[in-house]
This record gives sequence, C-alpha cells and structure tokens, in this order.
Amino acid sequence: MKPAQILLAGVFAAALASTAQAQTTLNVATAGDQNMVDYINDYLGPLFEKQNPGTKVRALGTGPGDAGSQKIFERLDAQAKSNAPAWDVDVAVVHEKITGKLVTDKLLANYRSGIQTANLATRDSSKAALGTPVDGYVMPMFHSQTAIAYNPDIVKNPPSTYDELVDWAKKNPKQFGYNGIKGGMSGVSFVMGWMYAYGPDAKKLQNGPFDAELTKSKAWNYAMANLKEFNKNVTFTPGNAGTLDMLNRGEIAMGPVWVDMFYSWKAEGRLNPSMKLKLVGPGMPGQPMYYVVPAKAAQSDLAKKFVALATSPEVQAEGIVKRFSWYPGIDAKHVQAKLDGATWQKLFTDVTPDDLATKGKSFPVGPYFDAILESYERQTATN
Amino acid sequence: MNQRALGPILVAPALAMVVLFFVYPLAYSLISAFWSPEGWGWANFIKAYELYRNDIVFTVLIIALSTALVGVFSIAIGGYLVLGENPRSVAILKWLYRWPLFIPFVVAGQVMRTFLAKNGMLNNTLVGLELIEPVSAVSLLDWRGIVITFVWKQTPFVALLVAGAMASLDRSMIEAARNLGASRLRILLEIIVPQVRASLTVGLTLSFVTMMSVLSVPLMINAQTPTTITANMAFRINSYGDYGVANALGVISILLTSGVAWLYLRQASKDKSRAIA
Amino acid sequence: MSSSVLNTPALPSSTATHLTTWLPSRALRLLLRGLALGLLAFAVFGPLLNMLLWTVAESWFFPNKLPSAYGFAYWGRVFSPRGNAVESLVNSVSIAVGVVVLSLSLAIPAGYALARLKLPMRSLVLLMFLVPQAFPNLPVYMNIARLFYDVGLNGTYLGVVLVHTVHGLVYAIWIATAAFAAVDHALEEAARISGAGPLRTFSDITLPLAMPGLMASAVFVFLESLDEFTATFFVGAPEVNTLPLLLYTASAGGNYQIASITALILLVPSIGFMLVVERLLRADVLAKVGQ
Repeated sequence: MKPAQILLAGVFAAALASTAQAQTTLNVATAGDQNMVDYINDYLGPLFEKQNPGTKVRALGTGPGDAGSQKIFERLDAQAKSNAPAWDVDVAVVHEKITGKLVTDKLLANYRSGIQTANLATRDSSKAALGTPVDGYVMPMFHSQTAIAYNPDIVKNPPSTYDELVDWAKKNPKQFGYNGIKGGMSGVSFVMGWMYAYGPDAKKLQNGPFDAELTKSKAWNYAMANLKEFNKNVTFTPGNAGTLDMLNRGEIAMGPVWVDMFYSWKAEGRLNPSMKLKLVGPGMPGQPMYYVVPAKAAQSDLAKKFVALATSPEVQAEGIVKRFSWYPGIDAKHVQAKLDGATWQKLFTDVTPDDLATKGKSFPVGPYFDAILESYERQTATN
Repeated sequence: MNQRALGPILVAPALAMVVLFFVYPLAYSLISAFWSPEGWGWANFIKAYELYRNDIVFTVLIIALSTALVGVFSIAIGGYLVLGENPRSVAILKWLYRWPLFIPFVVAGQVMRTFLAKNGMLNNTLVGLELIEPVSAVSLLDWRGIVITFVWKQTPFVALLVAGAMASLDRSMIEAARNLGASRLRILLEIIVPQVRASLTVGLTLSFVTMMSVLSVPLMINAQTPTTITANMAFRINSYGDYGVANALGVISILLTSGVAWLYLRQASKDKSRAIA
Repeated sequence: MSSSVLNTPALPSSTATHLTTWLPSRALRLLLRGLALGLLAFAVFGPLLNMLLWTVAESWFFPNKLPSAYGFAYWGRVFSPRGNAVESLVNSVSIAVGVVVLSLSLAIPAGYALARLKLPMRSLVLLMFLVPQAFPNLPVYMNIARLFYDVGLNGTYLGVVLVHTVHGLVYAIWIATAAFAAVDHALEEAARISGAGPLRTFSDITLPLAMPGLMASAVFVFLESLDEFTATFFVGAPEVNTLPLLLYTASAGGNYQIASITALILLVPSIGFMLVVERLLRADVLAKVGQ
C-alpha cells in the first residue's frame, strides 16, 4: 500500500496548496449552456477582477435549460430552509420561468434600485416574468429568441409562417426536426408558437389572466390534435444541442433553435457556416436571461457591482453583442451607440429588427405554460 | 465477544451512514409523493399513471433487455477468458473489454449520440466499407440507442465481476470435463456459470438498478416518446417544479428496483442456507 | 462474442479429446477469431475513437465524414487558468481515493457480518444499501443539501466524500458480501483448528481470499465517485470543484470538444487506479498460490 499512501498524501498537499489563496471570491452560478460559463470566465470575470483588485470571480455552470435554473433554485431553497446566515451564491443567472418562483419564495434580494444601470432596461420582461411581478429583483443579461434554423443548400425557399412550415413538412417528411417538449426549451418554444398560431387567443396566453375554460376550448384541443398530426412528419431530436447537431450532420434540414446558441456555435466554427435563421409568423417566443442576487448573498455589495458592470452599455456592447452575438439585455438604444454600424448589423443578418418587433413573442404566462405542456403530454401519452 | 452482538456491531457504521445521509433526506421526498395541492392522497400516483404508464412499461422493458444482453455478453467474455485456448486472443480480449467501464454515463451518452446517428460514425463506416447503402442508413437514436449505450457501458462492469469469479474457480472440474470430451460451450453453461451465479446476479442486479436511475443517457439519446422514468422525473421538476409527481415516479422506480433486488436476495439467502447446510 | 465459444457446439464427442484436431483448418479458425476480435474492437473503440476525434476536431459538419479542421484550440480553453481543469482533477482524484478508503473500511466489516454472521433482517439490511442507487436522486439532493447546510458540511471535502460514499457503498458492500460468502469455510476452520484466533484467521485466510472481489469493488467505487455530478454540485460546489462539474455543462450543452477533452482527462486516473489495483491483485493471487 506504500505507493498509494504517498500518492494520497501528494494529492492532498496539492489540493490544499491550490485553494490556499486569501482573497474575496464572488461566486457566480449560471444556468445555460457552456457559452454562459465561457462568457464569465473569458470575458466578464477578468474584467471585473481588473476593476476590483483582490477579488476573484468563480463561475459555476449548473447545466443547460430550465434544469440548470432549477438547480440554482434548489440550492438557494436548501440554504434558506436550513437558515444559513450567508449563502454561497452571490450572483445567479437564471431563466425566466424559475424567476417568478424565486421571487415569490423570497429567495432574492430587491437589488435593482441600488445599481446605477437600473433604468437602462425598460422592456416588459424586466418587470414581469411569465406574468409574475419581478420588478426590482432582476436585470436582464441578454435577450434570447427562438427561430427556425435551416440549411439553405437543401431549403431554397424557407417557410415564413407556421402554415407554410406545415406544408413544407408534409412535402418533405422527416426533414423538419424538433426536440419535443422534454428535451429543452427550443422545442417548447416551437410548441408555444404553434399554440399562438392555431390555439385560442394568443394575446391572452401571453398576458393572462388565466382562464381554465380556455384550456378546454375547442380551439385548444383542435390545435393540439393538429400538432399530433404534424408530429408524424417530423424527426425528433435529442435536445436543443441535438437539433443543431442533426442539422450539422445533414439529418434534418430545418428545426427550431435558440438564436444565441446558433450564433455561438457558428462563431466557434462548430456549425456549418452556410446555415441560416428564419423567424416564422405569427411568431415564436423568446426570453431574457436574468441576473439575480440571492437574498442572503455573502458578497451582496460586490454582487451589485458585478451586475452593474455586466449591464453597463459598454459591457453589453463589447461582451454581449460584439463577442458573443447575443441580443442585448438592456434597451437597444443604449448599446447601439457604443458600436459601429457593421457590428450592430451583424446581429440582424437573418432576423431583422422588424421581424423581432412583430414576431418575437414572450412565453405564455405560467399557468398557460404548464397547461400547454401537460396537454401535449396527454396527447402523446395516449397514442 | 457475544456472537449475536458482533454482526449488528459490524454492520452498524455502514448502515448508520446510509440511513443518516440518504434514507433520512429521502423520507422528505417520499412524504411529498403523497402530498398534492388537494391534500394527502394518491393524486400524484394517479397522475403518474395517467401520463407515464407507457413510459414505465417502456423503461422496464428496455432495461430488462439491456440487463439480459449484458448477462449474455459478460458470460461470453468471461467464458472465453477462462476457456480460450489461444493465449494471444485471450490477452487481446482481456485488454479490450474493459475500456467502456471508464467512461462516465454522460460522456457515453454524448459519444453515442454522434456515433449512432443517421450520418454518424457507425453508419459512415458501414457505408465506407460498402456493407450498407447510404439510403438504408438509419438513425439508432431511439430505444435501440439506449440499449446499445447501456450494454456498451455496463457489460465490462459485469464481465469484470464474472471473469474474476471464473478465474478463481477450481480448475480441476473443468479439466476433467474437458478430458471427457465436453464441448467448451457445455462446460461454460453447465459447469462454470452455475458456480459463478452469485457474482453474475450481483452484477446484473446492480446494473439493473444503476441503469434505472441514469438520466443523462435517455436525455441525450432518446428523442422519442415514450422515454424513461428518470427523464420524466426530470421533466416534472424542471418544467413544472412539480416534486410531487416526480417523487411518485421515484417511488414507482424504487418499488420496481427493490422487487428485482428482492428476487436476487431471496436467491442469495437460499444459496447461503444451502451452503451452510 | 468470441468465435470459438460460439462455433463449437457441434463438436462431435466421438472425435478425441481436443478441439484443434476437429476444426477443418487452422487458417479458417484464425480468420474467424480475428474477425470476432476485430468486431469487438470496433464495438469497444468505435465510440471511443469518435470521442478522440472530437477532442481535436475544430470543425466537423455535414457532409464531411471526418473533421475538416484539426487543432488543439479547445485544449487551450480547457487548460486555461480559469478553466480549473487541473485543480478539478486533483480534487476529483483525492475525493475518489478518500471514498474508496472510507467505503472499504465500512464495507469489510459489514460485508463479513452479512456473509458470515447471524443478522436479524439480513435481506432488509442489504436492501437498505441499495436505496441510494435505486431512488432516482434528482428530487432527493435538495433535501441532502439542506441537511448538509444544517451541519456545516456543505462546501467541504468531507461532505463530498460522505455523499459519494453513501452512493458507492452498495457496490462495496454487496460485492464484499458475495466475496466473503464465496470463501471456503473449510479453510477458515482448518486455521482455527490449528490454533489461530478469529482475528488472525480473518486477516490471514478470509481477507486475502476475498481480496479479488474487494479490489473489484474498489474500482467501481472509485469510478462511481469520479463520475458523480449531482451530489457534488449540491454538496461540494462552488468550493469543491470536480471534473464532472466541468464536464456536465459542456456535455449536456453539446460542446463536444470540451466534454470529450474533459472525459479524456478523467480516463487517466480511472485507468491508473485500475492498474494499481491490478498490481495489488496479482501479488495477492500469487501469494495464495505459494501457501
């Protein structure tokens, strides 16, 4: 056992040495894909450390999609329930869906008024998340949108509405792919867009109030039954990344994706550069990612400073738009001024600002959101 | 020391660990399986049955199939390792079969996703060797993909246990049978396998249980419905924040696995009493 | 899987004692065996080769069957100072070693008792150890995290070692029980008759005989700990980072390069541990032969 003991001792010594650094650590937990972790590690973290000597930013990825946000919620919830005096997450980046619950469960700090960029974000989504008021608790990191990605080598005339898309899928069976509702939000978003197109009262779905009768209405069931029919012509993909993956391998020609993920993959050379995007009418949902500060963050002042930096026009322009090709979280006019025209235009190559204004929808309010998912599950469970 | 006290004393530390750090926190989850907005009752189980009964059957079927295949391949590998006559082949096999053991499930899922896809490496290789036509290439990213990934990942685990047990068998009986002219397949199935049954069933039971609780593989490979119980649990939690139904599914899962484990344990204790008697 | 096992059932028992005399030609045999091993090699290494290619693929998309650009750019990212890869590797390995030590020291007495001594509700006890594997853990970890925050174990190495041990214990104990049960009673009784005390009998006879099984279980426990994500996330992070934490986001998010490189790094300690165990095993088996 001797060599093993020596190995063990060495390993422990190395572990101790590597953690023995006396500085303040700011823990940033982020849901979402690898690019979110990269954004903090490669860009925002070093910038913040330069401005605040003696601090170290530590990024922690919690996994893609709502599952990642849910883990942040569970972590904070566990600390709240055990009455921990100071929590170990200082800044969290979360999806829209969990934010309402984080606020109603009193897990977040109302920090927004304490930072100087507070007034730069005026979109509806910075006041309410899927119908739950979150004003004061959130600052948007960036805004994301779903759209249909397609391979122009195969698809010469991409559909521009759901109707045309349905037609196209019928003529090209199994060439349209999406990830259902259990494999990530891009598939969910496609389904929500479907309900806006064919279901009852798209406005009411997005703005509430919730009316249980609507979920039993004829239009609702009709839309669901049609979707089930449509599903016979599609290929199911394993997850958000799975859709891009299958596009990449030429197994499908078209599918719904997150615009930010699409651009990230493209920028890294991981996606066929000829791929294009199209936002189909009447519209598909998008959502912001929020910066939130937990109610008992150990470093709450530093956390506010961090969010202020992250939502400053300079960082939004340089980091979010220029480096990562994401739509800015704060209002566009503050960001556009910091950028040259070409960089700004690059954001809107495939999806124009006009498209975004008319076809970029929000997700349905919470109860409708859940009702749509559950109807979908029931449809597919009974085949 | 008193013989009767010694057993419980030796088991106590390990048992305390599991009870304190898992069973106790688990109790909260079990309780929440019976709690729904309407109050205490079976509501979560009813919903789980309504929405996920296909998925439950699907899960049991594919995992049973995977377990069976793992068993067959492990016996074949172990058998060749003890009975193979070409030392070089035995050495190669011994070196070969263990590798997937070291690949975490999440990576196995990711690797298989690009390997088994319609235009993935497997089909590309087959097309390249002109074994199949490009048009007849099919995607295996459905239940078959899950089974392939599970078998790929779990066979080395069971084979390692089985081969270890086979290697420590008394060889005189094998030699005797061989001298009587018995075929190697018969020796394997009639002499060796019965003697290593304990290791084999431990391995298969543990494999079954492990596969039942893996989430990453079905999430990354299976795009279709039905899907596995774990994928649905994750969906209940992540999409609805609904721990009630998720925990109800967890209870169903633990009942299924305990059932299988119980079969094994009953068998094992029968063997034990026979050995003592 | 192996050609000879599958191809010999038709062996006529009238023909003599040995297989080789029966088969038509050595060449065919060799060919079949080579084919079977080749197939197996493809089944095992095909997916792994795929992973290896991803670690150096900078650009790989349809209709290219192989990457169109190779390079080590992603390696640079994984090993960048902020990537935490080295620290995470050291953490992963030291935690896994700790888990193996703790699991075996709990499993050896427990396994012995379960296999050899009278125990009330023996099957139920065995079943208990299975529970952490049998209940899909997703909804349980928030409760565990709460407990660990309560007692101040969150964010500590000890905390992570404890949860991993709970998880790996079923491998250790079940396999240890089977290993001890397989030890021949007669050998122990012989030792007792020749005057050895119970402890002496255990350490000189029972333990060495059960050692192969125990070592195999150590490998599984080690691997289980090395691959664990959810528990580490809730109990360890952000203070204690391990490689699976890095790997998980990349892998689930479809960043195959980062995930494959991280997985490759994880292979190093796994295989290293396996080799160490093998060396120990062989020594023991040899010692047994000498007795």
